[in-house]
Formats: sequence, structure tokens, C-alpha cells
Amino acid sequence: MVHALEEIQRMLAPGGCLIDIHPVIEAPLIEVYQRRNVVFVVSDPGYDYEEGLRQAEDALAQIVQRRLFVIAGSGEFDLITSASSVPELRDYWAKYGAYIEEPKDAAVEARMAETFARVEEAMRRTGEGAEVATHEKARITRLNPKLSPP
Amino acid sequence: MTIRVDPENNEPRALFALADFNGQRVLEIGCGDGRLTWRYADRAAHVIAIDAFAGSIARAKENIPNELSGRVEFHHSAFEEFVAKNDSSTFDRVILSWSL
Repeated sequence: MVHALEEIQRMLAPGGCLIDIHPVIEAPLIEVYQRRNVVFVVSDPGYDYEEGLRQAEDALAQIVQRRLFVIAGSGEFDLITSASSVPELRDYWAKYGAYIEEPKDAAVEARMAETFARVEEAMRRTGEGAEVATHEKARITRLNPKLSPP
Repeated sequence: MTIRVDPENNEPRALFALADFNGQRVLEIGCGDGRLTWRYADRAAHVIAIDAFAGSIARAKENIPNELSGRVEFHHSAFEEFVAKNDSSTFDRVILSWSL
């Protein structure tokens, strides 16, 4: 990761910047909505990439510590992806996340099946107008290359 | 109903709060199906968007709006392969899009 960030610094023109966007280190939420009100919420049972996120944070900290980049600004935002049914939402993530090559292990698959059954039950209870969504929090950081040696 | 991603535009709002994209040469790494690309590309001079997953790039290419077709290039490429073919000082903005 650090090597990739070094290469990005090389490719940036003078005055350019790197914008990094990645999820914060916490599980996304699965939410059931009705008329914009959250009526049911549970942690995403498929969240198993905390180690990767920690490595990303470490890589960013290293390039700042080594003074390759300086942090010029940062913030957090919520990314909501909603659908009218659980299968529709899961189909979307199956396509969007299809680059993830490692299959989930059996325990995670079982937890996902149980959790999504609860979400579907919550949607049935909620009735007309129910929507399901994933709710992720992300951090965005602007890094300016520090071209002159310290 | 179709899938709605970021209906309140939180992601582009956060992006534009940190950087100006007007007239800029942009590299987006991990563009996926172009979900974020479409939100800023109309401001940029030129966008190269790469992703290592062929399926995502194919969907992105299918969905290029006409008005952006000359301005945005999608490439199926791992970052390391892309770097090996590109010169220094090429881009004004590089976005690591949920990909570090």
C-alpha cells in the first residue's frame, strides 16, 4: 500500500493532490426504513474486512510520517444504498462486490442468512413503503504531496 | 424500484468540499461501475478511471452518458500495471475510491 502511495505521488502534477476515500473501521448497518424513519437496524453480518481497513489507515499514517504527503483536509460522510427488497439489495452487492475473491466462510454465511431473514421479517412487519438499505460511514482525506525534503 | 445509491449526494458533496475538479486531469483508482465517476466527471478536463475487476469496467463502459463519452476513459487494469505504463506528473487529482 505504501508503495502504491509513493507511485501516486510520482504521477501527481505540481499543485495536484490525492483524495483517499475508505470506510471507517466499523461494521456497516443494515437498516429498514419507512418514510425516511429507521424502524429496524442491525450490523452487517458480512463485515470481515477490518484488518484491511487497519492496513489502509497504517499506510496513510506512514506516508504522512515520512513526509511524502501532508493532510490538507478530511471529513466523514454517510453512504446509503437502498432497495425495495432484501433480494434486490443483496443482488446489487453480489454484483458490486464481485471483485472480492475470497468466499465467506460457512459461519459468516450462516450469520448472513439468519440476519437477512430478520431484516425481511422487519420489512414484512413494517408493511407498505418499507425500504432496506446499507448504511456505511466513510472517511475522505485530501493529501498534498510534499515535494521538498524535510 | 431500482437501487438508489447515495440519494442525498453525500459523497460528491464531501469530495467537492476538499478539492476543485474544474478543468483538472483526474485518475480514479478503483472506480468500480463508475458510481462516483459520474458525479464529478462533468467538471473535469479528462478522467481516466481504472479498476482491476473486468465486470465492473464493462458495466461502467455500458453506462457512460453521451455527454461524457469523450471525456472519460475506463480501463480494466490493476494499479501496478497502470503505473508501469504512465509517466510522472500526469494528473492533477488522484482519487483512491474505496480501494486502498
